[in-house]
Amino acid sequence: MTAPDLGDPPPDLGDPAPSRQRVVWRPDQVLVQHDIPGLSDLRDDTPGGRLLLRSFMRAQLGLSLMCLTFALTVTASFPVIAAMVPAVSRITVAGVPLTLIVLGFAFYPVFLAVGWFYNRHARQLEVRFTSLVDPVSRRPDA
Amino acid sequence: MPDAAVGAIAFVTLLTIMVGARGIRVARTPDDFMVAARQVQPALNAAAISGEYLSAASFLGIAGLVVAQGLGALWYSVGYTAGYLVLLLLVAAPLRRFGAYTIPDFAVGRLGSRGLRQTATALVLVIGWFYLLPQMKGAGITLQWVLGTPYWVGAATLGVVVSCNIAMGGMKGITFVQCFQYWLKLCAIGIPALVLLIAAGHHPSPNLTPDRAAVFTRATVVDLPQATGFTLTRPAQATVTGLLDQRTYRNQAVLLCACRHDAGAGTRIGFAAGAPVPVSLAMAPSSSESWDSPFLTSTTSGAHPLAATYGVIIATFFGAIGLPHILVRFYTNPDGEAARRTTLIVVLLLSSFYLFPTVLAVLARAQAPQLYLSSDSDSVVLALPTVLLPGLPGELLAALVAAGAFAAFLSTSSGLLVSVAGAMSHDFLKRGVTTFRWCAITAGAIATIAALLIERFSLTLLVGWAFAIAASSFCPLMVLGIWWRRLTRIGAMAGIVIGGGSCLAAIVSTMLGVAASGWGAVLTGQPAIWTVPLAFGVMIVVSLLTQRAVPANVGQVMLRMHLPEALSRQAYRPAGQASWHAPDRRAPGPGPGLAGPGHP
Repeated sequence: MTAPDLGDPPPDLGDPAPSRQRVVWRPDQVLVQHDIPGLSDLRDDTPGGRLLLRSFMRAQLGLSLMCLTFALTVTASFPVIAAMVPAVSRITVAGVPLTLIVLGFAFYPVFLAVGWFYNRHARQLEVRFTSLVDPVSRRPDA
Repeated sequence: MPDAAVGAIAFVTLLTIMVGARGIRVARTPDDFMVAARQVQPALNAAAISGEYLSAASFLGIAGLVVAQGLGALWYSVGYTAGYLVLLLLVAAPLRRFGAYTIPDFAVGRLGSRGLRQTATALVLVIGWFYLLPQMKGAGITLQWVLGTPYWVGAATLGVVVSCNIAMGGMKGITFVQCFQYWLKLCAIGIPALVLLIAAGHHPSPNLTPDRAAVFTRATVVDLPQATGFTLTRPAQATVTGLLDQRTYRNQAVLLCACRHDAGAGTRIGFAAGAPVPVSLAMAPSSSESWDSPFLTSTTSGAHPLAATYGVIIATFFGAIGLPHILVRFYTNPDGEAARRTTLIVVLLLSSFYLFPTVLAVLARAQAPQLYLSSDSDSVVLALPTVLLPGLPGELLAALVAAGAFAAFLSTSSGLLVSVAGAMSHDFLKRGVTTFRWCAITAGAIATIAALLIERFSLTLLVGWAFAIAASSFCPLMVLGIWWRRLTRIGAMAGIVIGGGSCLAAIVSTMLGVAASGWGAVLTGQPAIWTVPLAFGVMIVVSLLTQRAVPANVGQVMLRMHLPEALSRQAYRPAGQASWHAPDRRAPGPGPGLAGPGHP
């Protein structure tokens, strides 16, 4: 971070006595950047823009559902397996029942791994979409 | 003994009140008052969310249920954690970008209908109250255990403290405090768990071997404060003082047969090491399943354990999305990306926490399986330190546990009461801080009175029911609202009313004891297994039938929820580079002809 130029308005550091102002939340207002030409299609909800947004949403949802299916399969298959093969719930590992290991400890690393994988790929999808809409700009954070 | 515990509870409570008092000076605008300031670092925010989320059920309920009914109860802790994974995958980032504060705000912002807003608000009240009850019960049994006061004293104390605190200070002011509450709870359960684990040493306990009934690992005197029926799996020699099987003994040795026995209130029975632990008739693990079964059998009297287990899995996995008090906290993230990171950290923090109730429950099962006999199963965690570690160390650990438990009740019920009182004042009555204060007091009073009626239900069960209602009403609304353009207000309304209503009806019928066995008990005791698919189905079908009611601005709303911050810059970008864009208001007006599907 560099120091702000003198011409910039002073950053809002929380006025000691802010005057009351009324802010109305309008959920269909989208704060878009007007210097990105590729955004106009999205903004105006043209057929092309709608298709673009829809394909992006579909990719995001596909990623989410894939991760969800994986996590659900890993966890929710355990009761079925234990019901079909009762011997599974009699296994002990070093004196500790397998059921305790699975239910008490083993699922949490799976959840963390799935969440980490999802965050990584969701971010990549967003970066790809951003560069599709706005190919000119070289964003430092993209 | 209780001095240390009383001191610890008083300390935690006073700390919360003082912070609430400070919140009066910090809160400046109604916005500050309702939701703590935005733009909080993900790690801090995640700890705050976890601090508010971990309630009496997590702190006391799960371990107690595991001791009483078996390892299957661990599905609750798995599900409470997985709920945040599902939230991360399906709603976290879009919801943050949307910018609504509450679920009713989301409903009306996405679908635009006042009727829907009021239905959603009513449901916020139902879920909030359902979730408040177990907190009150937790406070009741904690004070009962520490001080010996009647159950209602603890419940009323929590109600008064929390209502007044909220009425004075808003949402406990500050994210930092809820963050502190998480670490307090983690220490209050983690330190006792580790100390007791080390103290217990590594002795393979016969009680952990699969398919074995529990035995006493040392000579133990069981106190039965209330009249209790129990059975023994084998005959056992015992020393009895008090009334047993209609005979009064005075410290006499008796050979108890392997059959049913009835002990009067105040009876003390001494067992030798190796004797079988009596199985309480009231709290018995279901007859067909052993303690180490991976199925969950509570509420359903042992019938159809597989279906009951899946009921809990569905309710807890999908319920977290629809909890009203959690969503409010979500808007303190600066953007969608931060919301995702925050949620992942929440999963990490919850995973770390839930290791310890498991450890305590297993220790209790291995070393002191009689604990659930002499008291409510929910107080097992409170009683365990003094049983396993007699003397001062055990008392100090018990005080720590009691303080952590009270922190759990205070933080969760504060968050819930803010949501409930906010919903009441904002949507049903006239807005304003004064109304909000009166609503907080009223809502707290109602919850306290209702808590007196539910003493016999396990904490975990009650919280699980709140999750089931949320999963069968708000979860489909959020998921479909975010990902499906064709959702209509009529479909959403139908799904919420039918899904949430049938779930609530099933739970109330279980509380009244309508169906006590068989499929009826499973389907009403763990209703999520059918009400969640029902709610999704109704919402989709009715929406497809009413496509004329798709809001005209759905394109803009979807754009707002899904456009990455790199393109929208909802925060941090100086004015001039970005500006608000709103479509001309071809709003969903009275004429249905105007509000065609999307833009023409």
